[in-house]
Amino acid sequence: MSTALDQLNNAEDVAIVRTSNRKWRARKKQFMPWLFISPYLALFLLFTLFPLLFTVYLSFHAWNPVAGLANMEFVGFNNYAQELTSPWFWKAVYNTVWLAVTTGIPQHVIAIPIAYLLVTAFKGTLRHFYTATMFVPFITSTVAVSLIFYSIYSGNTGILNQWLLALSGVPVIGALFAWVPDAMPIRWLSKSDLIKPSIAFVVIWKYTGFNIVIYSAGFLTVSKDLYDAAKVDGCNAWQQFWHVALPMIRPFIFFALTLTIIGNLQLFEEPFVLTSGDSGGVAQSGLTISYYLYLIGWEWLEMGAAAAVSLLLFIIIAAATSLHFYFNGKKGLEGNR
Amino acid sequence: MASVELKNLSKSFGDVEVLHQLNLTVAEGEFVALVGPSGCGKSTLLRIIAGLEEASSGDVLMDDKWVNDLTPRERNIAMVFQSYALYPHMTVEENMGFNLRISGLSKLEIKQRVGEAADILDLGELMKRKPSQLSGGQRQRVAMGRALVRNPDTFLFDEPLSNLDAKLRVQMREEIKRLHQKVRTTSIYVTHDQIEAMTLADRVVIMKDGRIQQIGTPTELYQNPANVFVAGFIGSPSMNLLDGKLETKGKTKKVILSDGTKLNVRSNSCPLNDGDVIVGLRPEHLHLAKGKTEKNTLTGTVNLIEPTGAQNHLKISMAGKSLAVADSTLVPLALDETIKVCIAPEQIHVFAK
Repeated sequence: MSTALDQLNNAEDVAIVRTSNRKWRARKKQFMPWLFISPYLALFLLFTLFPLLFTVYLSFHAWNPVAGLANMEFVGFNNYAQELTSPWFWKAVYNTVWLAVTTGIPQHVIAIPIAYLLVTAFKGTLRHFYTATMFVPFITSTVAVSLIFYSIYSGNTGILNQWLLALSGVPVIGALFAWVPDAMPIRWLSKSDLIKPSIAFVVIWKYTGFNIVIYSAGFLTVSKDLYDAAKVDGCNAWQQFWHVALPMIRPFIFFALTLTIIGNLQLFEEPFVLTSGDSGGVAQSGLTISYYLYLIGWEWLEMGAAAAVSLLLFIIIAAATSLHFYFNGKKGLEGNR
Repeated sequence: MASVELKNLSKSFGDVEVLHQLNLTVAEGEFVALVGPSGCGKSTLLRIIAGLEEASSGDVLMDDKWVNDLTPRERNIAMVFQSYALYPHMTVEENMGFNLRISGLSKLEIKQRVGEAADILDLGELMKRKPSQLSGGQRQRVAMGRALVRNPDTFLFDEPLSNLDAKLRVQMREEIKRLHQKVRTTSIYVTHDQIEAMTLADRVVIMKDGRIQQIGTPTELYQNPANVFVAGFIGSPSMNLLDGKLETKGKTKKVILSDGTKLNVRSNSCPLNDGDVIVGLRPEHLHLAKGKTEKNTLTGTVNLIEPTGAQNHLKISMAGKSLAVADSTLVPLALDETIKVCIAPEQIHVFAK
């Protein structure tokens, strides 16, 4: 009898131990994913979420970082009001949008046909070589690139002006450059109407290669059978590109455009180096929003106003991207392959 | 409709010659199947006929006109691809009407012709859908519709059913056959499935390693295979091929198998001289011997029984070889049971070794 009771007790003990083990395993199962992502979470909280929230907080304060945290003064929406009525801010907005459009569109208009040619006309190593060559500007330091272009654009010693002069002396085509000798020296970076186009050229030169790589990858995903079907359907080379290849890379175009919109609206290094960091060049013609917020924050030490400008820039980028998603998202994101 | 003729056609990719001096004539309205194992060059040949690939040498003629330099469009061919190759960004209607749009036809005419093709293939309900919203069979029908709508001189099919499941494949096979009977357009059909080739085609071209092995009607190929490859390729289950020795005594000819079994063969169907040969026995021609009086028998032990319903597929060990037998009598047999099978002399094929 006692043995039966012992057995019963033992069975109950075993059941309790099993239940507790199950609970522990369940808790461990819940806890483990958090443990694995905790390194990222810590970095995210420290370097992303905190600065983001601190920027919002800061934008409602006047603060000179040199004076220390104790000198932070709550000013409400003053920073926003001040910037939204500042002519420099609106000039920066205009320049940013101008540069985003004039550099953004050519990047893709040039990159798409080049990528198509690379994929259709070249094979293997040769294609990789050309693609890599075109990608080199993207991986070169922006500061280095901008410095080289700074020298190319130089009025007296720059190679660009020398080329233009040489071209003006070439028979036949020289007629197109007949105006050059009279215009010399052309000061690309110190004339207000030439600064933006000069910056735009550098941006196009630098980022087209990146888009070529994206589009090459896109064209490579188009099945050879589709080109064959198009040939059987009677398409010539242009029609194959227009009716088959181009619609097939819509998701890639959408992705590349998104990156361009976000990147171009944050343009900083090229205008900064090309205008020698001098308040956006003559008449602030090269002043972009990022450049402007750098000036406010680090030149004029008004961190609160800089935070407000950065949040305004965030709103502009979010609005532009939303419009892009609204108009192009349906076709760009449709997975109908 | 157009006739298609290939004269001394060869194709090389670098140093690798994939087609060797092929000659073939496809009559107007004929349905010809190119069949062979993977890598035999049948798809390359079809692409050359389509104008998607250039021949290294030789001529392609359509309606007796030399077309080597013409584009696929100028050849007025339509092609159905293995992957269907439907344009994913276009609806069914746009896919079917695309080639007409490229040709510059009016919207009204495109709509009318697409509608007619859709009626034939029962695609009416699907016209506004994109290919990704269709099943495999529906995509296949759209691909055929796209070809049909052009009213081409020649239809080219590149393994169009190989992506479908077995049941749908049979169904689509019937549809293709019915479609051909209706439109009678010259058709060239590439497949590696001999059943598909046999059931669909008026004539079948058997290829191996870029060479044509035999051209003939399905019945001719089955009854009189030209060589061991054709014999083994045509028929399911495959023909048993055994080593043997041919002996002639007076008017009778016999083959002696490696285990000493002697089989009479029909002398007029065996033009070979005495010596080593390969003996071909179709599994469906081998019958279980009913009594001791049966002639032309082989003895072996059963080592596998595969019931298929209408037949039992048996594997019989005989002189170290495995012999396939298709038994329609469905007599219950046990594994390792010794049995005798017999075959009529006129159904024994003998090939040179």
